[in-house]
Amino acid sequence: MSNKILGRDAYWMNFYGLMLLTLIEVAAVGADLGSTAEGIGMTERQITLWILTVIAIPKFIMIAAIFMHLWGENDSGILTLTALFPAFFIIIMVLFIGMTHPDGGTSLPDWCRPGTYGL
Amino acid sequence: MSADYHDHDDHHPSPWGPHDWGHGAPHNSWSPLILSIGSGMFLLTLGGLFTFGEYDGRYLPMVFVSLCVMAAALIVWCRQDMSFDGSYEPRSVGVPFKNIQIRKVGVWVFLMSEMMIFSSLFSTYMRYRQGIPRCDTVFESGDWVEGVAVTCFEPASKLIASSWWHIAPGAINTFALIISSFTVVQALRWANKPVGSVDEEVRRKRVYRYLAATWCLATLFLTLKMIEWFIGFHVPEIGFLGLHEHDIHSLYSEGYLINNDHYQAHHYVDEATGAHMVANIQVSATLFYVTTGTHGVHVFGGIIGLTYLTYKAWTGAYNPQSAVSIEYFGLYWHFVDLVWVLVFPFFYLY
Repeated sequence: MSNKILGRDAYWMNFYGLMLLTLIEVAAVGADLGSTAEGIGMTERQITLWILTVIAIPKFIMIAAIFMHLWGENDSGILTLTALFPAFFIIIMVLFIGMTHPDGGTSLPDWCRPGTYGL
Repeated sequence: MSADYHDHDDHHPSPWGPHDWGHGAPHNSWSPLILSIGSGMFLLTLGGLFTFGEYDGRYLPMVFVSLCVMAAALIVWCRQDMSFDGSYEPRSVGVPFKNIQIRKVGVWVFLMSEMMIFSSLFSTYMRYRQGIPRCDTVFESGDWVEGVAVTCFEPASKLIASSWWHIAPGAINTFALIISSFTVVQALRWANKPVGSVDEEVRRKRVYRYLAATWCLATLFLTLKMIEWFIGFHVPEIGFLGLHEHDIHSLYSEGYLINNDHYQAHHYVDEATGAHMVANIQVSATLFYVTTGTHGVHVFGGIIGLTYLTYKAWTGAYNPQSAVSIEYFGLYWHFVDLVWVLVFPFFYLY
């Protein structure tokens, strides 16, 4: 890969970015976020989950795009589509996991209950 | 198949299979298929060996047979690939992958199936995490009776994220995997440098050293996982850091086990009455060990691949023409890193 990020080598920049995000992740778990969570009407566990999710998304994209060459190469477009193909099945699996449980229709949260999406 | 291909059919006399790359032989090895069959046999017979927690020795010979099948397939595959010098890399001729290396597309299709495996594990985790009340919630509600196990979800993070020392092996592993992803792309970069732009001996050393570093980091990952699961470690007293001597127990010694239906943790003691809540944590422990264990098996598979790649790199076999092999392995290895990006926060921290 000959691409650059902010004028520097893409691999090195990606590596620095991933290390930084991981440090933030570990610090977020160790930090006392109780007062912050209270201020925005959430529990500490909820705010930690949000931070972890928000950080995991760019980490995921950075590894796939730079290290796995899904960005900046001639075949990046079609290979990205190939990589995203299972996403369709994954969405079905995650949205309708309630169908796998006999009490799915009554005891699960709305977001994974069959029928919620008009299907 | 062209007439030219038939003309050169007699250039494949080796008992190790068609690997006469110079004459355009495709890499139509049976080894991956045999390896898959061996892996299937191994999983099936290993399951039979411990049916419902009971040891059944009848399956033991078949476990060894399947391990032998896997080993034989790997040896033949490596032997066939050793002669690959990059002189013939078949490319797809049809849409949508026209002009893309067929093996590269194959690796991506393989990774798609891997995504489905881990998606199944993650959706199962989400399902049970949502559907079963947390043990600390049950404890605080007081809706339990001493001596009667209550089924609840005890995330491993309750133990792992309880202190910086507990989380250290997982955190170090996260950094180890990210660094190992970086060392793989550096090995690929050095193998890809145009001929003449770098001394060949320097190329050889850089490629095998980067791959060897990746191997070491992968081994460190599994070692720390074993420490975290089974061994634990001792923290010495370090006065100037304010550290007191203490032991960090493994998950095993804490009783965080897939068959533990009477889990007792020190934090589930009612201070007022002294009563102790016992929990059935079979579901939560199983989800943790199966998901992180499946990931660990992938790391182990990567170590096997890296052992071969490092040896081949040591012989000086990688150059811009043959560097694709490192790229294809790299795709797998980055995928293993990608999965850990999700496993670490949701199984270790949350």
